[in-house]
Amino acid sequence: MQMSSEEMPGGITRVALDGRMDIAGAAAVDMKMNLIAGTAKKLLIDLQKVEFLGSMGLRSIVIPARAVNSRGGKVVLFAPNEMVESVLKTAGIDTLIPVCHDLDAAIAVLG
Amino acid sequence: MPATNPSLASPEPRLTLKGQLEDLARVWPWVQALTARYSVPADTQFAIQLCLEEALSNIVRHGYGGQPDQSITVECAPAAAELVFTVEDNAPPFDPFAAVPPAAPTTIQELEPGGQGIRLMQKFASRHDYQQLPGGNRLTLTFAIPPLAIP
Repeated sequence: MQMSSEEMPGGITRVALDGRMDIAGAAAVDMKMNLIAGTAKKLLIDLQKVEFLGSMGLRSIVIPARAVNSRGGKVVLFAPNEMVESVLKTAGIDTLIPVCHDLDAAIAVLG
Repeated sequence: MPATNPSLASPEPRLTLKGQLEDLARVWPWVQALTARYSVPADTQFAIQLCLEEALSNIVRHGYGGQPDQSITVECAPAAAELVFTVEDNAPPFDPFAAVPPAAPTTIQELEPGGQGIRLMQKFASRHDYQQLPGGNRLTLTFAIPPLAIP
């Protein structure tokens, strides 16, 4: 599981995840995700290259999202594949954290 | 596309795991090998891995509560147009499908990390069944697959 981050215009922090968000994958990114969530105000979590998302991987998204939200920030999930999006929908996460497939739309959500 | 990995062409139908999260990393290669053997589509591979990860991590975290000396067995049996996975443990009785599902959260702050797993198994498995065993539990998860060409 790989993870990278970059600062985008507008104060947006983009975190790109790459690989399988299973138990091992979630453990590999948890600490870095939480560190970023500790300061980010506008967090774009890029899921384009996430091949698998399990319940432990969901935790790795939900916990940072709650942290950003609790400080008045915003989070958006970007470009999950069809099965990953199905997991997000089944878990009810898509109704609370916006899911966008268009980068401009994702940036607009973050304001 | 079905997974293909010739080095994993003849998987054992039964996998025995320790009661620790780290050992669950062995499940995905096993599922890959099995699903390659039965030409299982990628979406169904995803569903199998999702449901097994949820079932097994629940047993490790809640059923065994950090007792790594306990074991879990997972067995895969092919049927006419499905793969049947049976998970057995020695944990205290617990029927995950009898539990009252948590209320749907209305805010991000109400989202319980890890609280959606049962819902995921109900959605992604074609069928699921629970049976209490003397001194343990048996969970059966069934997945529809294309009609088999059993090797």
